[in-house]
Amino acid sequence: MTGPGARGAELEALEVDLLLEGVARQWGFDLRSRSRPQLLRRLRRHLREERLESFSALQGRVLHDAEAMDALLRTLSCTPPALFAEAAFFRDFRARVVPALRTWPSVRVWHAGCGTGEDTYALAILLYEEGLWGKCRLYASDASEGLLADARTGVLPLPSDEDARRYLEAGGKGALCDYYTRDGNWALLQPRLRDSIFFTQHNLATDGSFNEFHVIVCRDTLLTFNRALHNHVHSRLFESLARFGFLCLGRKESVARTPHAGAYEALEDCGRIYRRVA
Amino acid sequence: MSPLGLLVMGAPRSAAADVASVLALLPPHLSVPVVLALHRGPLDALAAPLGRRCALPVVEPDDKDELQPGCVYLAPAGYHLLVDGGCVALSVEPPEHGQRPGLDALFESAADSHGPRAAGLLFSGHEDGVAGLLALHARGGRVAVVGDFQTGGEGEEGEMAQLTLGTVGGWLARLAYVPRSKVQP
Repeated sequence: MTGPGARGAELEALEVDLLLEGVARQWGFDLRSRSRPQLLRRLRRHLREERLESFSALQGRVLHDAEAMDALLRTLSCTPPALFAEAAFFRDFRARVVPALRTWPSVRVWHAGCGTGEDTYALAILLYEEGLWGKCRLYASDASEGLLADARTGVLPLPSDEDARRYLEAGGKGALCDYYTRDGNWALLQPRLRDSIFFTQHNLATDGSFNEFHVIVCRDTLLTFNRALHNHVHSRLFESLARFGFLCLGRKESVARTPHAGAYEALEDCGRIYRRVA
Repeated sequence: MSPLGLLVMGAPRSAAADVASVLALLPPHLSVPVVLALHRGPLDALAAPLGRRCALPVVEPDDKDELQPGCVYLAPAGYHLLVDGGCVALSVEPPEHGQRPGLDALFESAADSHGPRAAGLLFSGHEDGVAGLLALHARGGRVAVVGDFQTGGEGEEGEMAQLTLGTVGGWLARLAYVPRSKVQP
């Protein structure tokens, strides 16, 4: 069947391919290895928000304007909007990972794909509460400089009562408001937490391993990649993880069918936390 | 008409019981995968109750799991469920119409990846899903709505089948019917 819908779809697919080719050659971000359905949806949304007629028009804009490119990358990223957005993960991390970290003299933690930093700060609060902050070095990376700049400020939308409830559900030992100063509708994270986090630009798709870590947190970041890039990134993560280190994935992600699946053991009864055993 | 490769269903929370009834109508040897998005809260356990009367296994897939014929894939809480060729793709894009999983997201991805080889069934009762179903329709997919359906637009819903719980069985049976010797014009 070749109705008007099908023809429009073919033209749209062509325009998208040209846009992605242009972005890859001009800016070095190869979006062609993104998960296609999600990419298409984000691009269409971006087009509506920018009030542009077609992907060709968007292409013209992003090729000439670095800010437009950053706005595009920002639309493509999906950071959890609040601190402790998934309480169950932080509760499991506290119960199952923290005891092992206590036994090590120093701990390097990498949060890969930190976006605007909500989960990074939640992790920092957790490590602080567990008395590990002194011997932990927390690295947080993202491919987008714009998102990282936001994360570095340590400024978040003011946490709601719901956020405070999830903080307690995640095993919080104090009160969430101890960790920020309120400024109108915004919250400024305590500088002693913010300043000790090492934020760095790192593109999982193209950059190699940059250190060896005891914990890698990479949650729901790889959802945006297609299977081939997903497996490639898993190899980088594996190379970056010390033996007996922990890999923390999103609730519906798995190491199954990745190249190093056999080297991991899933921790029982807790989400998707894996330990490298080989 | 292209052979069917995928059946997608979307339903608001109010239609959960109707979804269970329709799943019970699916034949045990269905030759295509069924992908289902149902509005849900973070703590609803749905796969087991939905699977109780369904002849096919009902699973909540992990990201990038392959779609197998004769299996029902239910969108997990907190993720949009998308179709990417022969695989599922989960996504943490922001909620749409206040919902994640969302129905539009699933229908839109099915339209992109399967077009006329996809069939879409929407259970009415929520604004979410209508735009996605129309997109699938525009790409040649066979679509139908269970329950009352009103759109502001005119003409578009002309070819869209309106079904009740009594007639949806017939619609599904026609979808699954494959003529043995297809006569090409």
